[in-house]
Order: sequence, then C-alpha cells, then structure tokens
Amino acid sequence: MDSLEVRRPAGAATLREGAPAEAALVEAARSGDRQAFGRLYSLYWRMVHGILLARVPPGEADDLAQDVFLSALRRLHTLRDPGAFGGWLAMIARNRRADYYRHAPQTVEASPEIVETLGTSDPPLVEARAALAAIQGLPEVYRETLILRLVEGLTGPEIAARTGLTPGSVRVNLHRGMKLLRARLEEGAHAG
Amino acid sequence: MPGEYLWDRGGKPDPEVERLEHVLGRLRSDPREAPWIERPARIRLFPARAWLPVAAAAAIVVAAGIWLAGRRPLPGWEVASLAGAPRVGANPLTGQGVLAVGQWLETDGESRARITVGSIGEVEVEPSTQLRLVEARQSNHRLALKRGAIRAFISAPPRLFFVETPSAVAVDLGCAYTLRVDEAGTGVLSVSSGWVSFQHGGRESFVPAGASCATRPGTGPGTPYFDDSTEAFRAALDRLDFEGGGGEALAILLAESRRRDVLTFWHLLSRVDPSSRGLVFDRMAALVDVPDGVTREGALRGDPQMLRLWWEDLGLEESGWWREP
Repeated sequence: MDSLEVRRPAGAATLREGAPAEAALVEAARSGDRQAFGRLYSLYWRMVHGILLARVPPGEADDLAQDVFLSALRRLHTLRDPGAFGGWLAMIARNRRADYYRHAPQTVEASPEIVETLGTSDPPLVEARAALAAIQGLPEVYRETLILRLVEGLTGPEIAARTGLTPGSVRVNLHRGMKLLRARLEEGAHAG
Repeated sequence: MPGEYLWDRGGKPDPEVERLEHVLGRLRSDPREAPWIERPARIRLFPARAWLPVAAAAAIVVAAGIWLAGRRPLPGWEVASLAGAPRVGANPLTGQGVLAVGQWLETDGESRARITVGSIGEVEVEPSTQLRLVEARQSNHRLALKRGAIRAFISAPPRLFFVETPSAVAVDLGCAYTLRVDEAGTGVLSVSSGWVSFQHGGRESFVPAGASCATRPGTGPGTPYFDDSTEAFRAALDRLDFEGGGGEALAILLAESRRRDVLTFWHLLSRVDPSSRGLVFDRMAALVDVPDGVTREGALRGDPQMLRLWWEDLGLEESGWWREP
C-alpha cells in the first residue's frame, strides 16, 4: 500500500484545542524532525497502549506499542491529512493488535477465571487483571473506549480527540459499555 | 448526574467508576524511552564528507528498526561454531546451536563462534572468550562479556544492544565495534563505524567511529580518543584516566593535541580537576571556535547547557539523543 487516507470525522477537529499544534508536529515529523515525532509519541502513547490492551495481555502491550510507533514513523509520508493523525495511528494499532493473534495462533485470550490463576501474588494486580479481563470480555465496540477511560485515564473528550471518533460515539460507547461492565462484575461477584 | 463523571470527570463522582479507575490504573504505562524517535538530524563539524558514511549508516539503522517484528521474549540466539569447539553451557558446540538466556558461551584458545543477535546483527566471538546471554528481547539485547574479545555488527536503532563488562556497559548506537576484556576486567572498546556509548554509574563516554575508549574496574570508562592520535597522547590520557596522572599528563595532552582531539578535551572539560579546566578550555578554544552561548566561566563550572551547546557545535553529534536524561 503506497498511500493511506484517513477521513477526519466531521466536528472532531473543532473539539481539539491542540489539533493545529499537533498537525504542525505531524508536518514537522514528516519532514524528518524526530523530536516532533517524539512529542507525538508522548501525546499518543496512552491511546496506542489502550487500544492494544483491549485485546492483548498487559505484558505485551508496551512492546507492541513501540512497534506501532515504529510502523507509523515508517509510513508517516503516506498520511495525507496531518489532522487525521490520531485516527490513522489508531488504525495502525488495531492492525498490529490483530497481527499479534494472527502470528501467535497458539495464544488464547485469557478469561477472568484464567487470569486469577495466573502468576502473581500481588492482590491489587490480580484485581486489576481481573477487571481488565472483564472489559476484554465485552463486545469489541466498548472495549477500547472503556480501557482508554478507566485504564489510561483519558476523558471522553480526550478519547474523541485522540482517536478521531465523534464525541457522540465515545459517549454512547462509554455509557453502554459501563452498564454492561457493571452487570458483568456483579455477576462475577455473585458467582464468586 | 453520575454519567458526567464517566464522561469528563465532571459532576458527582461515581464510586464504581472511581474504584475501577483506581484498580485499573495499575495497568497504565508511561511512554518508554525511545531514542530512535527522538534522534534529531545530524549537524556539521568535521568535514561533512567524512561523516557521510555514518549519516547513511544512521539512515539504514533507523530503517532497520522498522522491520523489527514481534517483541515477545526470545528463548535465545542462534550460535554457530566458526573454528574449534566452543562450549555452550557444559556442551561442546558443533555446527549450530542456540545460546539460551542465562547460558554461557566459552571459546578456548583455538575456537571461535558467531552469535546471531536476534534480527539486528551479529557478534563474532574470538578465542579465549567467556560471555553470557543476559537478555534476548527485541527491546533489550544484552550480553555480559567476562573476558576475551567480541566483534559486534549491529544494524538497529540506538540503545537496543548492550554488552556488559566488569567495569562498563557498551551501549550500541548503531554501529560496529570490537570490545576486549582481560582477566582483570580491564577493557578497551574500539569503534569501526557508528557510535557507542560506554557507561558506568554516572560516567559516560561517547565513542565515535575511529575512536577507542578504555575501561577499568573501580574507575569505569576512561576518556575516548581517536585511534590516530599520537602514542604520547594516548599514553598520557591513560595515565590521566587511570593512574592519577595530573599536570604532567595533561601538559602532554595539550601539547600533542590536534583539532580532532577536541573529542577528548570535551569529555575532559568536566572530568579534570577544576583547577585544570581552564587549560583544557583554552586549548579547545585554540583548536575550534567557542560557540555563541558558551562562556569560559560557564564551561569551567560544568554548565550542562553550555557543554551541550559546544558538543553540538563540534558537529560530532547532537547530544540529546544519546546522553542519559
């Protein structure tokens, strides 16, 4: 693929106070300014990490996130609209996430039950992994948004600005996803 | 409205969302150091033409990093016998094998071996060498060289390949180099292309192609020098770095120095006794221009910003991407 075009959702850019500055960073990075790319790396690390965490084990997400940025650096010249960087990067992260399972067919996504039996004696970490597994068990459309909100600490408007999703979609995903998550956690508590 | 807290942390906090934020926040990750991203463009200094091969190598290095594939831990690296019978752990190596993480590779006086360093390069292991594979992750390729000699050829972004010695760690910045360590733990690093950072504790020496740097237990890396400096220069530097040589050694360095030796003086500026720094500064100022923003007073007190400015003006390399924060 020689060129990629990512459409920016209508209205998304207007909510992004830092969008022009980020577009300038993208332009600078495209002209070879590695420090500008370093700024983008810092700005978007959580988004990429969160998207990966929606399916891959926590121990793999850091390494895969670096892969995503390396890939983005290589392909930056194919991005036609600098203002669409976030959505474009999110797409690379989702593709990398899919590749992870494509190239590791022996790997099975962990269920909450499995997670609790896997090697840590750190109770808060066990609890965190169990909660993550509960989110990973939700329909895909809600996973990313909830992880970006609850794990990565981004607010709804920040998620919309970073990913290129519309604020309305993010809001719906958050509310419906949280409702499902509450139900799952409650079921788990009763089952336990 | 509870939903507002979920949306933008506004309104009354939702206890369940707060609890999940607290629990799941443990899985959050801060951006890793990524020198391959922050590395800025090269700048001038010595005749630009002389650095073109290195610039080309840097471009290759960055491109090479792109094809780094999955980052799952590797069980080990391939190793092949080049001569004699090297040993991997307790077993003799005939043909090819695997050096697993934690295992030792040992060559006797007759044997040699070649290690494939993941997907980023090779290490040739010379006779009478003992080394161990410490880490084999694609974000951390790490050997420990106890004694002997290795030749490393690495094509990867900086800071992915490390060789520990008894008195310093060689940090690859995209390069080829030879590293020798004797039974006493004394070592010498010689770089044939690219750049290597030689570190121990808070001490760091930056070694470009054509230069070398010694290291000794108890001291760490010495001061880098170009291999074509005079014998008297190198001997004096050795005395200054490791034998307590003071004014006499420094006087020889000053007298024997050429323009290229500002590499050595730049490191010495913050290492020699404060009372001698003025001599180093004056010699540097005689060999190269003092850049705007650098004053004698500031340089003598080790002002980091001024030292960085001067380094950049030397044109060896912008320092931000290779120096520790």
